[in-house]
Amino acid sequence: MRHVVDARGSFCPGPITELIKVYRKAQPGDEIELLATDPAAKSDVRAWAQKSGNEVLSIEERGDHFAILVKVVRR
Amino acid sequence: MRAIKIAVVGGGTGGTLVANKLASELGERIRRGEVEVHLFTDRPEHYFQPANLDIAFKGADPRRFVKDERELVVRGVNLHPNAVKLIDLNNRRLTFNGSSLEFDYLVMATGSRAVPELIEGLAETSYNFHTGQEDARRTWEAVSRFERGTAVVLVNVPHKCPPSPVEAAFLLDEHLRRRGVRQNVEIVYATPYTRAYPTHSIAEVVEPLLEERGIQLVTLFNTDYVDARERKVRSLEGEEIRFDLLITVPPHRGAEVVTASGIGDEEGWIPTDKETLQIKGYDYAFAIGDATDIPISKSGVVAHLEAIVAAKNVIADIEGTGVVHCYTGRINCPLEVGEGRALFVAGTYTSPPERQEPSRLKYLMKRVFPRIYWQMVRGRFETVFDLYLGKPYTTKGGSR
Repeated sequence: MRHVVDARGSFCPGPITELIKVYRKAQPGDEIELLATDPAAKSDVRAWAQKSGNEVLSIEERGDHFAILVKVVRR
Repeated sequence: MRAIKIAVVGGGTGGTLVANKLASELGERIRRGEVEVHLFTDRPEHYFQPANLDIAFKGADPRRFVKDERELVVRGVNLHPNAVKLIDLNNRRLTFNGSSLEFDYLVMATGSRAVPELIEGLAETSYNFHTGQEDARRTWEAVSRFERGTAVVLVNVPHKCPPSPVEAAFLLDEHLRRRGVRQNVEIVYATPYTRAYPTHSIAEVVEPLLEERGIQLVTLFNTDYVDARERKVRSLEGEEIRFDLLITVPPHRGAEVVTASGIGDEEGWIPTDKETLQIKGYDYAFAIGDATDIPISKSGVVAHLEAIVAAKNVIADIEGTGVVHCYTGRINCPLEVGEGRALFVAGTYTSPPERQEPSRLKYLMKRVFPRIYWQMVRGRFETVFDLYLGKPYTTKGGSR
């Protein structure tokens, strides 16, 4: 299942907090796509994924925002 | 002619101030019977909530930080000591205590509430210094008899007053040093953020201070559950921390009346325009303070400044000036780092908080605030705040 989290316009720590909110309800194998504008979200999500044992599949620039795709490996 | 009715729901900082500003600035119309201001509050007392830190970690007397709401409202405010049960935004009607009120304008200032029950084991194992005076007093009882072991300050999101958790860690350290037992206690500060403070520029100041005080920092710790029997807290990220004393800021949710009325998101926050403060889809209804879904800190200063903006927009609409006041996102939150020093987390929507060094002067400014708070919620000192903080709004539009 893919979850889309739109955290555009939200500044640190908004995006990572929004991601965790969805992660709490996700299952292993799910994907979470986080849309954000705050550049700090990239390093925040990488750090979180490394610590939690989940996987950042891609970070894609999309004009005025970017999309981070996370695969839920552990939950 | 039927009077224009303005309903304000919530008697905290934002609600009390917005009602007072409306009653003061529309005083002439109120006297002529053209306007009515109704303030609904579900409790008769008004608490100065930032002092909960002083009650919990310094043993301050709670009675210094509470007043009867009736003493705080100005002439022209109809105070209803009743909880609002339901709000019908489309039909402009609210119900309370078996009665109802039809309103022309609505300001929602319903705040946020701590819900420790959202996390298994949290309510029964932890001390919440953060929400109410009674909880803060219980925290003081636990802290003041704590002699040795591991004390964990655990942050859960979302919560109000962003500086308060790390302030709790600093003040706990200070208290234990004063009692001469600090060497027997390990203090752990566990936060879901990637840094010790959500804003990186402030984290750069706070983190070396935590290290200097010997407070262990654990980041990216999103609480999964608390094991009451084993006395350990486990994170979604798979980490465990054992504790002897657990001090927490629980996760927060919006007010029950928001959820019951179907006007909030899944956590009970009201979708709100971050500039005009109008509830999205309604030009006659506003939301301020903790109650909104605006991505800004939930704090007294935000409630205060948004109250000014919402009051001005209601008045402008009644008077037909066509001017719209847009909140700038100004924040200015004190952060006490112990040893009699503090800094202010200050910024706007367009200028994030910059690094500030803690100082004695800023600490003294924080200490003065409880003395002027009671006048501030009556709507006084606005000129002083404007001089110090700048006006919290820009304007657009004009005569129509």
